[in-house]
Amino acid sequence: MSESGINRRDFLKVLGLGGSSLALTGCGNTDIRSGDELIMPNVHPEDFVVPGLSVFYASTCTQCGSACGVMGRVREGRVLKMEGNPESKISGGKICGLGQAAVQVQYNPDRLTQPMMKVGGSLQPVGWDKAMALLEEKTGPRSGINGEEFAFMTGAMSGHLKVLVQNYLDSLGSKNHFVYEALSPAVSFAANKQVYGVDMPRLHFDKAKLIVSFGSDFLGTGASPVHFAAEYAKFRKAPRGTLIQIEPKMTMTGANADRWIPIIPGTEGVFALGVANQLLKHEEFAQSVPSDIVSLVAKYDPETVSSITGVRSELVGHLAALLWEKSPSLVISGASVEGHTHGVQNAVAIQLLNKILGNVGKTLDGQAQSPFPQIAPNAGSFAALKSVNDGMGGGKFKAIFIYGANPVFTAPSFMGLRDNLRKVPFKVAFVNAVDETAEECDLVLPIYTAVEDFGSHVAWYQPEGVEITMQQPLMEKLYSDTRSMGDIMLDLVKQRRADEYKAWPDFFTYLKTAVINIKPAVKYADTDEHFWYDTLSHGVIQVDAPQQQIGSNFSAAMLDLPVTAEAQDPKFPFYLVPSERHYFRDGRHANCGWLQESPDPLTTIVWDSWAEIHPKTAESMGIKEGDYLEVSSQNGTLKVKAYLFPGIHPDAISIPLGQGHESLGRFAKGVGVNPFKILNPVFEKSTGELAMYGTRVSVKKTGESEIVVKDEGPVSTQMGRKLVVTLPADVAQLSKEI
Amino acid sequence: MIHRLLAVLSLAFFIGNAVNAEPFVQGGPIGSQTSDGYNALGPVVQQPIEFPHYRHARDMGINCMYCHTGARRGYVSAIPRIDKCIGCHQNIESVRNKPRIKKLFEYWDKKEPIPWKKVNDLPDYVRFNHERHIQRFYFRQNRPVREVCGYCHGDVANMTVDRRVKALSMGWCISCHQKDHKESDTNMKTSHGPGECWQCHK
Repeated sequence: MSESGINRRDFLKVLGLGGSSLALTGCGNTDIRSGDELIMPNVHPEDFVVPGLSVFYASTCTQCGSACGVMGRVREGRVLKMEGNPESKISGGKICGLGQAAVQVQYNPDRLTQPMMKVGGSLQPVGWDKAMALLEEKTGPRSGINGEEFAFMTGAMSGHLKVLVQNYLDSLGSKNHFVYEALSPAVSFAANKQVYGVDMPRLHFDKAKLIVSFGSDFLGTGASPVHFAAEYAKFRKAPRGTLIQIEPKMTMTGANADRWIPIIPGTEGVFALGVANQLLKHEEFAQSVPSDIVSLVAKYDPETVSSITGVRSELVGHLAALLWEKSPSLVISGASVEGHTHGVQNAVAIQLLNKILGNVGKTLDGQAQSPFPQIAPNAGSFAALKSVNDGMGGGKFKAIFIYGANPVFTAPSFMGLRDNLRKVPFKVAFVNAVDETAEECDLVLPIYTAVEDFGSHVAWYQPEGVEITMQQPLMEKLYSDTRSMGDIMLDLVKQRRADEYKAWPDFFTYLKTAVINIKPAVKYADTDEHFWYDTLSHGVIQVDAPQQQIGSNFSAAMLDLPVTAEAQDPKFPFYLVPSERHYFRDGRHANCGWLQESPDPLTTIVWDSWAEIHPKTAESMGIKEGDYLEVSSQNGTLKVKAYLFPGIHPDAISIPLGQGHESLGRFAKGVGVNPFKILNPVFEKSTGELAMYGTRVSVKKTGESEIVVKDEGPVSTQMGRKLVVTLPADVAQLSKEI
Repeated sequence: MIHRLLAVLSLAFFIGNAVNAEPFVQGGPIGSQTSDGYNALGPVVQQPIEFPHYRHARDMGINCMYCHTGARRGYVSAIPRIDKCIGCHQNIESVRNKPRIKKLFEYWDKKEPIPWKKVNDLPDYVRFNHERHIQRFYFRQNRPVREVCGYCHGDVANMTVDRRVKALSMGWCISCHQKDHKESDTNMKTSHGPGECWQCHK
């Protein structure tokens, strides 16, 4: 018998006898109970409501900028799951993991539930009346603020909320709408504008027999991953199309490719010109471009290309032969191509292949021209952040509003944005959860999440016609002290233009009027009221708009890429590839547990950051998986675990974006590292955009080591059994096939 | 020491049940348990309105599913929506001033739900489907509604406020699932309820 007087046998007896009553104290409801829980009936519900059965409402996903039409499964007044809306041409009835996590934004335990005001250096809860009074005092008509002194910073915007923001700025006489996206397509837009005269051509995957993608992770990130995944499925149906991916670090799209070619970051354009050179030697293509371009690309012979790009020289001719054989083809470029000092030239060089191969007009043509320029999307840029940062640093602004962006997290440390932001006397953030930027603000206002609010959206990539996706609340607001962003904006506009806006008591009525104004464009025959409810129940307005005409304007000046390999700085021998993860993007959703828990598709790592390093490089440096590395640029150092990954160029090191939050709640704070912070001030030379992939780093072992938490088993050994028979590439003789 | 502890535990157990005792014994004698250790008779639950089931189901002969409309088409039978109560009671002047009806109208006027307490509360990991049972036994076998609902809920038509009178435990469920039941009132073929874990545990 033990000292306490109860031995093990007696203890078990007690458990056995009292077990059923003790179980009541356990977690959750694990017993049959009466009278412990409440069961609230509906008071006066809609006729179709049957308790226990779900109803689906159409809405729009706002997790990224693709504006997929979605349906929310709602039961007993709670949204439980997101699905795709089959009527949306963008989503085609499908949805991605990021979209699924919209319910975790809604039910996030760290959601901001009441307005906060900075008092004595920390944020304290206040009432809405006090918060709005402060807004009125600092930015209202009697504040004496003029338009030049005011800045409104938002993430990418479209639809009628964008119109309201614009109207508010107009009422202030301000032109300072800064649309900032950390991962904006601005460079891609600039290249397309030069070549085709439009921001973004429409891509027809299904018509192509071969897709050559230079760093475009169209299945994971970018313009419209859900739409492109469906298009890709059509492309892969018999007769199966071939995908070749050329990039420094394997993306999810790269992992799906038939052939993946690692390349030195930033040299993709040179490789494309090498291929163009081979093609133009063929009489079939020689007349496709002006003679000055023919003579320009002649200097990119396979050996030169190989020495610059690090790709074997025979692959240049091989890719040219494939492109010749499999026509029509489609050549696209992506973020890792565009994020360099000569990003636009890189992208133009890649588009030149489409011109030579005659793909323009076949696999690539114009999107529909939106007849509503006011609600058309603004996809944002880094340039916007730069100007707002300069303005703040120069003491230009007396007040700044921030919505849909987290610049304190995404701005590289060389900008000193946090200090500059502190110089603005009055800063307001509109958020769902307090993030790094909101922490710095004087007033933080809690707004509805996307599943609680009304809205309208227009995506910048439109697969067919122009689709205006409608957002409607899938449930009542969860917290009584939150407000709709639209309602707040309307209140703010009314500060100066009360008469013009008096017809609309709230954003709902404003949106309804605005949407009904679209009716003539879609030739809807029934009443206005019917149109509005039809629009909400279907979730989309399809506008049959004329197609944009695209040109194909190339000149030798647009293509002049260096013919020598870039000079190396021996202090920083590695190329940093800050990779965009398909469910984290710029990090705004790092507070969703599901997304943290979802294994990275290529490394299977969860809840962490890691540095991908090629096994050969790691071997030469004596690095093993889990070893802590110090990855340093001129602007900072990150301490991160190594992950040995064969899908990366041996001279590159890749750290995923989106982690390393200092705020944003319990699931995001303190997890991983933030590679945005160590980026160097390297800019794309024609657009001024930050060259995200232009930073060089050094790598040093710290000597510490820790287990990498991941789902994958021992891949190379296959659990000691030959589960999947694999062949080395040279034995498989891949090059003979693809 | 340990024996004293056990004695106190078991005494508290029986006293607890004796306090809640009611003078009817459906589901077994007071304090009795089914083979898997669950009380056959649940405690008395105090409800915000002492709803007289006997008045509606027995005296008026109203079908249970007139109010519990979810039972035939959803997982849950559902507590009636309040406009359902009002739909009838605004036309029954004779009881309009009874205290319970006044209370009902107070909730309705405020458009507030009545905070009923859940009497038949299964653990969170169990999903019981009312529709399957009602469709099989009420519609296909054509059994009387008070009998069909009563398999699990007892004779609610003779109760005021509902009280759990069957164990609703897993062993108790299975004891019925293992019996042979007619396919319908015209088809003499029999089958028993499903026995797969996932049918109830999702």
